[in-house]
Amino acid sequence: MAHRVVGQPIGRIDGIDKVSGAARYSADVTLPGLCWGKALRSPLPHARIARVDTSKAKALAGVLAVLTAQDLPDVLVGRRMFDMPVLARDRVRFIGEKVAVVAAIDPDVAEEALGLIDVEYEDLPAVFDLVQAIEDGAPVVHDNPGAYEGAPAERPHPNVQSVLRFKLGDVEAGFRQADRVFEHTFTTQLAHQGYLEPHAGVVAIDDGGRVQVWASNKMPFRLKELLSLALQLPPERIRVNLTPIGGDFGGKGSIMDLPLAYHLARVTRRPVKMVMRYTEELMAGNPRHPSVVTFRTGVTGDGRIVARQVKALFNSGAYAAFKPAPSVNLGGTSMGAGVYRIPNLLIEGMCVYTNNIPCGHARSPGEPQVVFAGESHMDMIAREIGLDPAEFRRRNLLKDGDHLANGHHLEHVRAAETLEAALKASHWNEPKPGPWIGRGVAMTHRHIGVGFTNARVRLTTKGNVVLLTALPDTGTGAPLVLRQIVAEVLGLSLDEVDVELATTDDFETDSGVGGSRVTHTGGRAAYHAAEKLKEQIDAEAKKLGIPATSLAGVAQAVAREGRTLEASHFYDAKSHAAVTSFTAQVAEVGVDPQTGQVTVRRFTTAHDVGTIINPLGHQGQIEGGLVQGLGYALMEEMRTEDGRISTVSLGDVKLPTIQDIPPLTTVLLQDLVGPGPFNAKAIGEGSISAVAPAIANAVADACGARIRDLPITAEKVYAALKEQRA
Amino acid sequence: MTRLIRFTVNGLAHEVEVPTSRTLLDCLRNDLGLTGSKEGCGVGVCGACTVLLDGRMISSCIALAVFADGHDVTTVEGLAEDERLHPVQQAFVDAGGFQCGICTPGQVVSAKALLDENPHPSDDEIREWMAGNLCRCTGYYKILESIRTAADRSRA
Repeated sequence: MAHRVVGQPIGRIDGIDKVSGAARYSADVTLPGLCWGKALRSPLPHARIARVDTSKAKALAGVLAVLTAQDLPDVLVGRRMFDMPVLARDRVRFIGEKVAVVAAIDPDVAEEALGLIDVEYEDLPAVFDLVQAIEDGAPVVHDNPGAYEGAPAERPHPNVQSVLRFKLGDVEAGFRQADRVFEHTFTTQLAHQGYLEPHAGVVAIDDGGRVQVWASNKMPFRLKELLSLALQLPPERIRVNLTPIGGDFGGKGSIMDLPLAYHLARVTRRPVKMVMRYTEELMAGNPRHPSVVTFRTGVTGDGRIVARQVKALFNSGAYAAFKPAPSVNLGGTSMGAGVYRIPNLLIEGMCVYTNNIPCGHARSPGEPQVVFAGESHMDMIAREIGLDPAEFRRRNLLKDGDHLANGHHLEHVRAAETLEAALKASHWNEPKPGPWIGRGVAMTHRHIGVGFTNARVRLTTKGNVVLLTALPDTGTGAPLVLRQIVAEVLGLSLDEVDVELATTDDFETDSGVGGSRVTHTGGRAAYHAAEKLKEQIDAEAKKLGIPATSLAGVAQAVAREGRTLEASHFYDAKSHAAVTSFTAQVAEVGVDPQTGQVTVRRFTTAHDVGTIINPLGHQGQIEGGLVQGLGYALMEEMRTEDGRISTVSLGDVKLPTIQDIPPLTTVLLQDLVGPGPFNAKAIGEGSISAVAPAIANAVADACGARIRDLPITAEKVYAALKEQRA
Repeated sequence: MTRLIRFTVNGLAHEVEVPTSRTLLDCLRNDLGLTGSKEGCGVGVCGACTVLLDGRMISSCIALAVFADGHDVTTVEGLAEDERLHPVQQAFVDAGGFQCGICTPGQVVSAKALLDENPHPSDDEIREWMAGNLCRCTGYYKILESIRTAADRSRA
């Protein structure tokens, strides 16, 4: 099917304000009488709060309020499991937990006041290591976690937050069929999402008593619900106003400092702005979980996988509050099955309390951890049984009619084609260009997200169409994608469609941004709303006896009768379609034998995609996710020592720069079967998870060093090489 | 302790009384309302706060406002002329050189400074110059493309 506007590589005309500096992010919002909030954070990982003295801080000129837990309602907050106080009440559980909060006339005074608050702590025994945390006799982080609202029932140890299982067939019987069984354990690091906009929010209580909120949050309606619970206010008293979000990558879905900003606004009777410093992001954001993942796989003599058992332990830190899924776990655990047909499978993911920074969601939550382990494990097995790693994968790939670990049935499976495309484009079968150079392949897949999204379209008297959406702009280009869809359906040019951002007053509910959902759910909502509007326009035109293409004529005619043509659609996708999106990636790396330094010489990424609404934005998602995967593979790490983050600035946590990006080949295999508008699929989370194992496998191919612990630093490779020589 | 400073920002003269400890970034954002420049890392490594001081790139989050006394500052808001985007800004739009946009003010200011000094840089020269501007969304490929596009158009 040929399209006019859909499929065009239109530039980011939705972002003129972003290049001009005019875009107003949450931290840029200003209001008359605005004051600034800053939080005092715990310097200890686990301690009882004996006494807090705020008198000196309150006496400082320019300070408007100082609050502790005693000044707040005794409520716990969370996204699904409510286990975290707004301010620590009698006990702190990680370094960085908020203990008091100050409002002052400017941020410098607020900062100075924090230094004048005197807190007396009594140390408690703490636990940091996630394996030790679930041993008998380990210090207990929460006395009775089962009593928290939203807490899962299963709790094999008091420090377990949640257990998530996926099961196919009979794993023990499967292992009995195996000729050989392999077991390997891998570890991954604590890693921040790396968005460059720290969490920011402004709260104002207006003259009508309504709580106005501007926040870097990607789920405004869920935010409204969560704030309603945290503030003990009816939801209709709260309005969330959408602002652009300066990067999300999974991290911008919590209420963060907004309850504090509200209480300060209430006490000072002034609007309050709270902006986290990046150091606070690194010590108390909600980063990607570190993990210890063990894979055990049974294979037959001809290289077929007959059984697999996966145990993934996630170090969740002091609170479960940042995880949004009903399981209070990481869905990515299901990727223990990889892209393979495994008849007998048992996957167990366990999130564990420790006295570390609480972790949350990060782009494809849980997948980079589990896919690194699983795809490294695949290569290690292939080498042991004497098969080419690509051939071993080929023999086990998912096929039409197979089931994912969660029991989900799949059709239009393009795993094999995606693999072959990546191998071909990366010259997999050709000799490597020299010594100390290796190639590695890795695969994954990512669902097309589900959720519920609104769209409302209105015809203006000029004959233009305005689309109202409550999807915040996290940067993916969604507003432009929605415009393209509406323009396509209504036969308009792009500049005849405008996008307006709603507030939470405009719709009942909306699941917001996340989980590779927006092109699907937002796109379908826009598509159906536009179709409904088109029907109305056609009917009116027929009645008027004018051509249906004369939108201005129709609009003006109905305007004379005091009417406006408008249509809404609420699109609710409850369950996943029977298709997914495969990714196959090949890294070619060079290893410096003297230093262990790894250089990615070339990278190939192949994706099984649907209709591409905007090729420029689509490619941008692939490239952005891939470079995040590269950083995760090679350099990014938040180091901790006894719960203290020792890398507290972006000078210490290395994110990739423009100097770090390898030459890239992208291959797209189109199969027009996605559930999205015009048969689109999803792309936002498809390119990140297989990068680290592709690189790890290439490093092993180049020099024999098998690195099982991310990131793959020169030190680790050097040590492995030294061990090999010894 | 405060001090009165006089400087021009995007061609306009300003006089501001600032605490001596205030950063140039906070002065631009909070005293002058120029919120285009962003605070990311706050320690001078991410480049989101990049402005030009007498035409040279600086990280305004680690420069004190008093250092700008008597100087000429250009921020992202000063690049467009008569509502027309600067060619670098236009190239970032056309080539998809941004996503969330939080780093973009710093990227376009740095890219403008590069092309002012070296109108037709090689890819290596672009990478070298832009290494101090982090971007978490794009993976940099389209930033590179945007700067190439701006340079190519100036040749045409």
